[in-house]
Amino acid sequence: MKRFLKWALLVVVVLALIGFGAFLYFIPPFFVQPPETFSKPQNDAAPATAAIADPAERALAERGRYLVMTGGCIGCHHTPGPQGPIFATYLSGGLQFRTHEGVYVSRNLMGDPETGLPRRTDADVKRVLRSGVFPDSHVVSYRVMPWGSYSSFTDEDIHAIVVYLRHMPAVKHRIPEPAPPVPFTDPLAYEEAYAGKDYGASAVVK
Amino acid sequence: MTQPARPLAGAIGALAAVATAWICAVRGPVSAQPAAAPPAQPATDEAARGQRVYQKYCRECHGQQGHGDGPGASWVSPRPRDFTAGRYKIRSTETGSVPTDDDLLRSVRQGLYGSAMPAWDRLLPDGDIADVVAYVKTLSPRFSTDAPVPVVVGEPVPSSPESVSRGEQVYVRLQCGKCHGTDGRGTGAVTTDFEDDWKQPLRAADLTQPWTFHGGATARDVYLRFRTGMSGTPMPSFRDTASDAEMWDLANYVVSLGRKPVWSMTAEEISSQYAAEAAEAKANPVGRGRYLVDTHLCALCHSPIDAQGRMLPGLRLAGGQMVKVVPYGSFPAGNLTSDRDTGIGAWSDDELKRAITQGIRRDGSRMLPFPMDWPGFAALTPDDLNAMIAYLRSVPPVYNKIPTRSRPLLPLYLWGKFKMLILQQDPPIIFYPGNAGDRGGRS
Repeated sequence: MKRFLKWALLVVVVLALIGFGAFLYFIPPFFVQPPETFSKPQNDAAPATAAIADPAERALAERGRYLVMTGGCIGCHHTPGPQGPIFATYLSGGLQFRTHEGVYVSRNLMGDPETGLPRRTDADVKRVLRSGVFPDSHVVSYRVMPWGSYSSFTDEDIHAIVVYLRHMPAVKHRIPEPAPPVPFTDPLAYEEAYAGKDYGASAVVK
Repeated sequence: MTQPARPLAGAIGALAAVATAWICAVRGPVSAQPAAAPPAQPATDEAARGQRVYQKYCRECHGQQGHGDGPGASWVSPRPRDFTAGRYKIRSTETGSVPTDDDLLRSVRQGLYGSAMPAWDRLLPDGDIADVVAYVKTLSPRFSTDAPVPVVVGEPVPSSPESVSRGEQVYVRLQCGKCHGTDGRGTGAVTTDFEDDWKQPLRAADLTQPWTFHGGATARDVYLRFRTGMSGTPMPSFRDTASDAEMWDLANYVVSLGRKPVWSMTAEEISSQYAAEAAEAKANPVGRGRYLVDTHLCALCHSPIDAQGRMLPGLRLAGGQMVKVVPYGSFPAGNLTSDRDTGIGAWSDDELKRAITQGIRRDGSRMLPFPMDWPGFAALTPDDLNAMIAYLRSVPPVYNKIPTRSRPLLPLYLWGKFKMLILQQDPPIIFYPGNAGDRGGRS
C-alpha cells in the first residue's frame, strides 16, 4: 500500500511537471486563439468620436482615430499590465525602451492635464511626430519614436491625429523622464547566440 | 510587474509582459563607430560652440560630419541637406551662389515647412542658432571662397485678379505644368517624381498646399524661389526667361492656387475634401499605398539598418532586419519587394491580406501580435489594404533571401517563458544591425 502511494505520488508529480511545461509552452495562446482575439479588443479600445459636438472637429477626429488605430501608436504607448495591455486606458504609456542614448518610457498620451498630452501644445505634438524633437529640444532616435516614418504624414493628417488625441479621456499615469543609458549587456536575453553579432559586418560602415 | 506571480493571470497577459522591455538596439554607442570621428576642431570659437550644438541637435538627420546621412536621413522626404556641398534650396541669392547668413538663420529659426526640419526658434537660444550656422558654414569650402550674391528684389506687384490672370499665362508659357500639373497639383504633369543632385527622391511641390512650401508661402517667398531657383533640384531660376513683373504675377498666381487646409474648413468642406481624397486614392492606388506604407511603419522593420541606425542603401523594404523576440526566437523581417523568389512577388493578394491583417504567414503559421502590428492593421479599410498591396507590388524587386526564423531549444524556451510568466521579468525585443538576408552575390 505504501509502495503504491509512493508510485502514485511520483506519477502525480511527473504529470504536474509535464502539465506545467505544457502550460509554459502554450500560454499565452498566441498561436491557438483566432487573430480577432487580439485585434478586436485593441481596436475597440480606441475611444469613439461620436460624442464630439463640433461637426468639423468630429470629422477630423474620425480621420485621426483611423490613423491612430492603424498607425501603431498603441504598440508602444499602451500601459502594460498583468493581463496584457490595459486597453481600458488606451494610450496611457509605460513601455520601456533601452537604447545606447538612454532609457525611454513611452509617454502618456491621454487627457490628464498633469501627466498626459494636455501638457503639450499642438505644435509640440506635431513636432515630435514629424521630427522627434521634444519641447525641451532633445532629439529622440527614430528607432524609439518612429518620426522618420510619421514625417511622411501630410500636415493635414498630423493635424487630424492631434485633434483626435485632444479628445482622449483623462487617465492619470506619471511616466518617468528619460534616464541615462544602461550598458547594453542584457541579462534577460538568456539566449546570447546573437549578442553583438552584426549581420552586415561587411556592409555596415561606409 | 512587481505583484506576486499569479501564473494564469500573468500568463494570459503576456502581450504586455513581452513588450515591456523593447530594446531598440543599435549596437554600441554611436561615438564608438569608426566612421564617426567628428571633423577637425573649427577655427573660430563661434563655430566650435556651433559644433557642439550641431552634434546635439542636428546630427540625427544631417549626420556626424554634415553629409546629410544621419540615422534619420533615409526615412524622411525631402532628405536632410548635405552641408558639405554648400548648395541650398532656400536662398535670397543668385543661382549658384551660397546663401546669406540670414537665409540660413531663417531656415533654422522657422524650420522648413512640410519637411522634418522643425522650427528651432523657440527651442534654442538665438546665440546657439547663430553658432550652429557659423559651424555649418565651415563644412563647405564654398563659404570661404565665395561671397553670397543677393538678388535684387524688384518692385512687388500687388496681388489683383489681373496680376493673377497674367501669372496664369506665365505659368503656361514657362511650362510649370510639366512638373506641377496644369492645376498645380500634378494633373497632366509629365511626372511629379524627381531626383535631386544627390540621387534622392524628390516630389514636385503641390502648389495647392501652400503650408508645405519649405521656404514659406508669401508672394515674396514664392517669387524668390522663381528668381533664385532651388539649387540641387530640378527647379531652375527663371531670371533669364521671365521679367521681374512676370515673376511677381506668377507668384501671385501660385499663391492664389492655395486651397484651404482642413483645419480651416467647415464640416461640409472636410467631408467633400475627404471624399475627393478617397476618389483620388481609388484612381491611384499605388500613390495611396506608398503613403500608407511610408507612414504605417512598414519600412521601419522591413529595412535593415547599420550599426549607427542608418538604413542600408538599396534595401528599403527588402527585409533582413533581424529582430529577436525573447523568448520566442529570432525573426528576420520579410522581404516586401516584388521579387518573385525572395519577396512577395509570388504571393497572392489574399495571402498578403491575411499576413497584414491577421498575422498568418504564407505557410499558414501564425505571427506573434507584436512587434508587427497586424492587430492594428486589421482596422484598415479594404480600399487602403488594396492600395498598400498595389504599392508593394510596384516596389522594384530586390533579391534578398530571408533566412528562416529560428526558435530557441526547448529547455531554453521553457526557461524563458518561466521567467516571463512566473518571475514576471520583462523580456526584450532586440533589433540587430546588418542584413540577415542573402543577397545571392548581388550588391
